[in-house]
Amino acid sequence: MKRLALTRSPWLKAALKSRWPQFIAAALLLAGFLFVIVSGLLGTPVGSRNFGIIAVWILWWALLILAAVPLAGRGWCAVCPIPLAGDWLQRGALLGPSGRPPRGLNRRLPKALRNIWLQNGVFTLMALFSAVILTNPRVTALALAGMLAAAIGLSAVYERRAFCRAVCPVGGFIGLYAQAAPLELRVADTAVCAACASKACYNGSESGYGCPWGVFPAGLARNSTCGLCLECLRACPKDNIALNLRPFGGDLEKPAARLDEAFKAFLMLGAALAYAAILLGPWGGLKAAALAVGSPAWLAYAAAFLFICFGLLPGLFWLAVRLGQVFAAPRRRTARRSDFALAASALVPLGLMFWAAFSLSFVFANAVYVLNVFSDPLGWGWDLFGAAGLAWQPLLTSWGLPLQIGALVVGAFWAARVARRAAAQGGFHALPVTGYAFGLTLAMMGLLL
Amino acid sequence: MTLALASVALAVILIPAPAAAAPLERFFRVGAGQYAFTPASLRANPGDTITIELHSTDVTHGLYVDGYDVSAEAQPGQPAALTFIASRAGVFRLRCSVTCGTLHPFMLGRLVVGPNWTLARAAALAGLAVLAAPLTLRKAAE
Amino acid sequence: MRAETLARLLVLGLAAAAVGFPLAARQRPPLLHARLAEQGGWAPDVLRAEAGQPLTVRLTSDDVLHGFGVGRTDFEAVLVEPGKVTEVTLTFDQPGIYTYYCTVWCGLNHWRMRGVIEVRGSDVQAGAPTPPLYAQLGIDIDAPHPAETTPAERPNALAAPVVALEFSFDQYAAASPAQLWSSLGNQPGLENLTDAQRWDLVAALWARQTSPAALAEGETIFRQDCAACHGPQGAGDGLYADDLASAGQAAMQGLAGAPDMLMQSPPDWQDPAILLGASPALLQGKLLRGGMGTGMPMWGAIYTDEQLWHVVAYLYTLQMDYP
Repeated sequence: MKRLALTRSPWLKAALKSRWPQFIAAALLLAGFLFVIVSGLLGTPVGSRNFGIIAVWILWWALLILAAVPLAGRGWCAVCPIPLAGDWLQRGALLGPSGRPPRGLNRRLPKALRNIWLQNGVFTLMALFSAVILTNPRVTALALAGMLAAAIGLSAVYERRAFCRAVCPVGGFIGLYAQAAPLELRVADTAVCAACASKACYNGSESGYGCPWGVFPAGLARNSTCGLCLECLRACPKDNIALNLRPFGGDLEKPAARLDEAFKAFLMLGAALAYAAILLGPWGGLKAAALAVGSPAWLAYAAAFLFICFGLLPGLFWLAVRLGQVFAAPRRRTARRSDFALAASALVPLGLMFWAAFSLSFVFANAVYVLNVFSDPLGWGWDLFGAAGLAWQPLLTSWGLPLQIGALVVGAFWAARVARRAAAQGGFHALPVTGYAFGLTLAMMGLLL
Repeated sequence: MTLALASVALAVILIPAPAAAAPLERFFRVGAGQYAFTPASLRANPGDTITIELHSTDVTHGLYVDGYDVSAEAQPGQPAALTFIASRAGVFRLRCSVTCGTLHPFMLGRLVVGPNWTLARAAALAGLAVLAAPLTLRKAAE
Repeated sequence: MRAETLARLLVLGLAAAAVGFPLAARQRPPLLHARLAEQGGWAPDVLRAEAGQPLTVRLTSDDVLHGFGVGRTDFEAVLVEPGKVTEVTLTFDQPGIYTYYCTVWCGLNHWRMRGVIEVRGSDVQAGAPTPPLYAQLGIDIDAPHPAETTPAERPNALAAPVVALEFSFDQYAAASPAQLWSSLGNQPGLENLTDAQRWDLVAALWARQTSPAALAEGETIFRQDCAACHGPQGAGDGLYADDLASAGQAAMQGLAGAPDMLMQSPPDWQDPAILLGASPALLQGKLLRGGMGTGMPMWGAIYTDEQLWHVVAYLYTLQMDYP
């Protein structure tokens, strides 16, 4: 598989090695993040006219799922403002290493947390309240403030970026889908790393911090755990870190098999289907149930959501994988468990395209609100850029449908390819898994079109 | 093989739906309450003259038809009507156009003009894509 | 180290600006927030002003579309849109207490969205207010008032016999159409009229008390403010009629007192026995005072006496034809 090392360009490499561009982006985004919290708390409670809701759930979400993740993987994590304050606390500096020992308790993250199960849990929790979080500025502000506080608190207790690695509900799925992105950070030559005594990329040096994500770059085979913070690029004394362009889906060529990531994939598929049904479907009762947090109807909705994500989707998938195993080797009696997680890699591109298709349906329809809230962020009657009074009008209505269909078709195609690769690797038949992906695509089409 | 699949895909996209029946006048009484239209799905044939009478049941709602750029707003107890000619075939979203509460942006319905082949076409394309996927892999292996 | 200092200043400066800017720019005086009555209604719900001095009000809605009107003034109501700000300037010539209210239907409790503007001024008009007509006439507007007789056919003013008859506004206001019909039977010179002719005469006398323009205004008000509960034809089957009935049952469990004074469905004015048994003063009294708990709002603070009489005149057209 061909790679193009961006770091080979001296000019680009200097820009990446300098902390300023990344730092300025994160500092500006931190200001934006704080402004989102303040406007969510003080501004109008009407979501569509509050900067907090629109900047996060229309603007940021659209850029994230339609551009940042598919094109740059964890590119968002590279500039995310949430870890900035905690990093400062730990490192005692915003830019280069100060040479002083790290502050805080600096404990190692417990082994039980070195996976994304907790992230799955936090995402599930937020997903159950999503109808409220998505529309209520106060709740969005509190959720974001909670994330910021958790990131700072965890950085005082644990070493490196514990929040990013183990808790962040967004980071979990970005990591999963980053495997499909055409951008990766890898070591140029693993032999150099094997001979390297300092392992500055992991331990830190005077020119760069040890990997905040707790990753040893030489061992990186997939994008999931690499936050693209570029510290290893700065720390490496051997100039052995490369940022590569690669074909889409690079990490899915040789899929890995992790159960926590498999369940993240089910969770994301289930959530995309559920949101498509709740938010875009014609069922008013479903919307009311999702909104009425705590009511019996909401409890039923929550139970159904959990059943779909953790029961129905994995259950059917298990059947599909088992069927594939039987097709391939009718005599073998036992089910190989690793095949299940391996085959689930086919759900990575499928889920990414589900989310792209789902997001297309509301991002452009509500894009005018972005202009409104930049002119009047708090709904206080300001008109900073003259667009506060712009009337709502859905944009690109005739493009929405073809784009959504295109995304879903690409998703099915991509999933079928990855399924076949995974099947070849695991030695089971790809057809049932492909059929599963196709079936879900039809379901999503039925909900979206 | 690739060529065959590509031409089938093209056919799936381009093959025209059968011509519709003679144009009619159609009247729909659409209820609007937080956050749904009832009925949520309207059907017509190309050329039909469509009148939608909007009856709000709780707060003020609007009804905007994607692609036709027409809308009406109704207060509870004071229905409003909008009339237009369904000149374009396809599936169009109906959207509430007056902020009516938290889930307002998701108060949606749809108007189907002509036979709805969109879903069938999309499903066929997905099927073709799934069939084509192994071919691209084999080629890469060679 | 200088770069580090710069970076720190940058982070702290941007963060302070992001938090400080909205805090510094908070609105004073605060906006007047419109919210559903179930969510608390107007906030604040009392405004103060000086007679003759302009009062600027900046309005916004926290949930759905509302409207802002000021009762018994010629101020033209404005829409109050969610998350947007509408600015209006009011000037009151006379001191007193004015009611502002929501002008866009926003649910069953729409009419509970009210607030008051206390306008102070030197030239306070002395003297006790005149009691409303129903009180002067001693009409119990909460008592049942069925018509003893009802017409076989719909009375029509145009078909009425031409008779010279004195008929003052006070006579009109005091008696129901059914009572007038009965008393006309004893009137000298009218003994030969058939029952139907007498009903037609009642309609003609009713028509004398109004005008097409007044009826049109009455109808407009009815469609806009009454029909959602009373029904477009006054049959008591409006959009919210069922909700009123069930809200009444719910209220009855929690409140002691006269159960007939709780939220209830509106009467069926398509039934002639109900409408033709009500005198204009009674209907006007109901409008003026409201239902005191039945769900019928108090209109006295919103419409002028003249407007209320227009509505009363319109209501009788549900049972009688007059131009």
